[in-house]
Amino acid sequence: MRNRMLNLSERWFRLLQRLYPPDFRDEMGNAAVEAYMDRARDALKTGGRISLIALWVRAFVDSLRNGPAERVRPAAWWRRAGNWGRDIELVRRRLVRSPIFAATTIGTLTIGLGMFAVVYTTVQKVLIDPMPYKNPGDLYYVWRDYGPIRDIKRGSLAGTDILEMQKTNGVIQDAAGLQPMLGGIFALREGAESMEIAVTRTSPNLFDLLGVAPALGRSFAPDEIGRAREQVMVLTHHLWTRLGADPGIVGRDVRLQGRPFTVIGVLPPDFTFVRNDEAAPPQRVDAYIPLAVNLAEPNRRGGYAGLIRARRGASPGAVAAAVDLIGRAIDARDFNSRGLKLYSVGLKADVISRIRPALVVLGAAGLVVVLMLMLNLASVLIARAAQREHEVAVSRALGANTIAIVRSILLEGSLLGLAGGALGALGAIWGTRALVALAPLDLPRGEAIAIDWRIAAAVIAVGGLLGVLAAAPPAVWAARVSLSSLLAGSAVRGGGGQSRWRRGLIVAQVALSLILLSSGALVMRSFERLLRADPGFRSDGVFTVRVRTPPEFFPQNSDASAFQDRVESALAAIPGVTGASATSALPLTATALFEERIAIPGAPGNTGNAEQDTVLTDVILARAKYVEVMGMRLITGHTFTESRQNGVAEAMIDAALARRFFPEGNAVGAKIQLGERSLTIIGVVNQARLYEIHADGRPQILVRAEDFGARPLFYVMRTTREPHSLLPEVQSALRRIDPRVPVGNAQSMDDIVQASLSPQAIGGTLISAFAVGALLLSAMGLFGVISGSVTQRRHELAVRLALGADHRHALRLVLKEGALLVVAGLLIGAPGIYIANRLIRGLLVSVSPSDPLSLLVAALGLLLVTMAACYVPARRALRIDPAQLLRHE
Amino acid sequence: MRHIQQARWFMGADRNRGIDKHLPLRRVEFHILLSLAAGERHGYGIIQDIEARGDTSVPDVGTMYRALARMVEDGLIEPAARQPAPDRGDERRNYYRITSAGMRIARAEARRLELLMRAARLGGLLPKGVN
Repeated sequence: MRNRMLNLSERWFRLLQRLYPPDFRDEMGNAAVEAYMDRARDALKTGGRISLIALWVRAFVDSLRNGPAERVRPAAWWRRAGNWGRDIELVRRRLVRSPIFAATTIGTLTIGLGMFAVVYTTVQKVLIDPMPYKNPGDLYYVWRDYGPIRDIKRGSLAGTDILEMQKTNGVIQDAAGLQPMLGGIFALREGAESMEIAVTRTSPNLFDLLGVAPALGRSFAPDEIGRAREQVMVLTHHLWTRLGADPGIVGRDVRLQGRPFTVIGVLPPDFTFVRNDEAAPPQRVDAYIPLAVNLAEPNRRGGYAGLIRARRGASPGAVAAAVDLIGRAIDARDFNSRGLKLYSVGLKADVISRIRPALVVLGAAGLVVVLMLMLNLASVLIARAAQREHEVAVSRALGANTIAIVRSILLEGSLLGLAGGALGALGAIWGTRALVALAPLDLPRGEAIAIDWRIAAAVIAVGGLLGVLAAAPPAVWAARVSLSSLLAGSAVRGGGGQSRWRRGLIVAQVALSLILLSSGALVMRSFERLLRADPGFRSDGVFTVRVRTPPEFFPQNSDASAFQDRVESALAAIPGVTGASATSALPLTATALFEERIAIPGAPGNTGNAEQDTVLTDVILARAKYVEVMGMRLITGHTFTESRQNGVAEAMIDAALARRFFPEGNAVGAKIQLGERSLTIIGVVNQARLYEIHADGRPQILVRAEDFGARPLFYVMRTTREPHSLLPEVQSALRRIDPRVPVGNAQSMDDIVQASLSPQAIGGTLISAFAVGALLLSAMGLFGVISGSVTQRRHELAVRLALGADHRHALRLVLKEGALLVVAGLLIGAPGIYIANRLIRGLLVSVSPSDPLSLLVAALGLLLVTMAACYVPARRALRIDPAQLLRHE
Repeated sequence: MRHIQQARWFMGADRNRGIDKHLPLRRVEFHILLSLAAGERHGYGIIQDIEARGDTSVPDVGTMYRALARMVEDGLIEPAARQPAPDRGDERRNYYRITSAGMRIARAEARRLELLMRAARLGGLLPKGVN
């Protein structure tokens, strides 16, 4: 009876122990049960059954309280989760013991994640981060689509349009008009050395509209607009620093185009604003002055870019509707309802529209590279785990905890990933700087591109996550390894599980590299087409400077013309200069100031329909010898020479116009109607492209600057010297002629060509680097798999050899294994190419996204490199000596 | 020379901090150290000691073994060899013994309690002059 009660008690006490966590039970369970049993015996002895049952209840309450409490005790919980310090130490030691593995793995991760970090920084700062204004999402540019009457989709607005938008006061809260100032000769005081700056004229509410207050002084007052009140100026922080960062500058008089202006304010350092024009790329601004005319007055200086602020939280759709409504009213009032529309574009979308497609592609490529890195790390870690197969199997047989083995593999992966992420983020500090240095000057938001701690943390986290995910397959595999599976497997050909994993990973890697490589090949081919494109001029050996001749300094056209004659002959006299001329618009800078409709009455190509027979053209003003200096190609006729015929206004047309109006080819001598003027065609040239290097833009005509009383901006010199070496002589020549006029924007035509190619160059370089990196990763992975396979199959191969197969057969067997993986990868990757092509379509110039040659080259290149990666380790199969190998078994 | 002094000072500070970290001891911990200070004991033996001391609340077995586990972790006590319990014939029990660190801490706790007692007497909470 007594024993039965005690047995029952013991079972009860042991049951209660289940409430405690297992490790505590292992350590203390027996002792605790013994203590309870001692108590139970005493209780039975002194108080009989009643007090024994009381003890049971008490033990129950005790265990109910202490068991769960022990389970959640933080220190115990931590200990139960493993000894992290010891685990990390073990992983560190393992890595130190194989320095080559650690170095290559961390090196690969560093380069890959570093590139990812650069791309991520760029995408984040340019595409995602808000611009530095108050509620930037509510700011929009407004443009007019001149579609029905002119080939201009993104046209400027009239002052009255801006006023209409200011008046509505509904969804549109405020509107401002902006306009570049043509000419920005700036001097700190009368007679001081002058410099060129970029000045924007604006309606006075611009800074209120953006929600930006000046760091020094004030912004424009609402009535500071128009001829009488325009002489005030707000400087950007950048210009202020260039001028010596003198806080006393506010209130001082400075000179712009020789006229006095008062500096009223300096903007804060983080303020950047890019003025977007209809046609030209976004422009930086150095200083702001008010509009010269009231918005209500007609303005012969051209239209405005309209900037509006919508009511807080208004949806883009609502803004578009409001703008459209105003546009319809204006269309009815000003354009006889011909269907000219106004439309709005988000400020940021408008500014970055040119670079957005490239960034989206780069971002996608960056993600693919991270994925590749992960797959590569996974296969490397599997290989490493496979080397430890025996160790794992034995330690598991000896009772090592599965969790502990899995944890150590995951830890190794995540430590490698974290190290790669940290080093990559570090490398990206320089990478982003290099990118910004390489980037075109007009890269929007370029000033914002720099890695910050948030991005660095994100990159490190991506690295860690990548490491953990990459370690997951080897961890799962290791968890399944057991001594029996090891013994069973090794009898035939070694563990099969891990090689299946690795093969799958290789196929995925090959597929991804095919996608990246084909995109890279297409982008590079497009870039190469651009490089070979004939822009219509010879850029080598041409130097250009901008010299303004503002009416403030040269009131009469004859003054300006005389000045320009003197400048031109002074430039031509510089040693090494073989010719000098001037033009209103340099090629590839999209700066045709003047576009007009022309007609050629009586030309054979006319259709008789007046609307069709007038053509919108870019009118380029040039001086004598321009065609020769720029190296343009004359097709027929002759060019502008030094001597002008009196009373004849000469013009040259481009080949497109000549084909259109004179299919028979007798253009020379015909008359062009340009507004009121009649011009005589003296020659036909290939156009020097104004906008894009690979395709003709609008038709062009060249006219003599002198005939139009115009004052061309740009001097061009052809030289046998290095173009930039001319600058000091050009400057001193100008200073001798007129010290008030500075030399601005010195660049060679090669610079201009390069700048126009740089978005493609950067995009092409980065994507190719990604693609090559991906290719190397796949090759490395394949190399590892094949060399592992040779090692594993050496018994099988030895048997085959012993039975009479020759070595070449063995080599073929191994190569076939690799080829199968590659071909599987190619087949799986092929559909991915089509998805990628959708993304890169916007980047390609004169190359079809399914260009067969590029795709073939990518696939063949991939095949070649991967097969080489198979061949090198596969050769080891040749060295197998069956007699020796089998004897050792 | 200064370095050594500094090192000593640090070590000393460290040791004191090590003790301070544990003070005040929980009641069950002080009871355990008190029992083990007299010699090795097994779990139930400690409980019996506490009962013998006349404390109003004797800790439950679970509470005591959790305290034992924690004190072993902290190095205040250590498991001794398994040996037969004197009153249970041949049955063996887990015995524990106090470490030198445990001894230091038990003394520090006793001093702390003594100071409190003295203060309580001076403050009139307890009759004066009674030991």
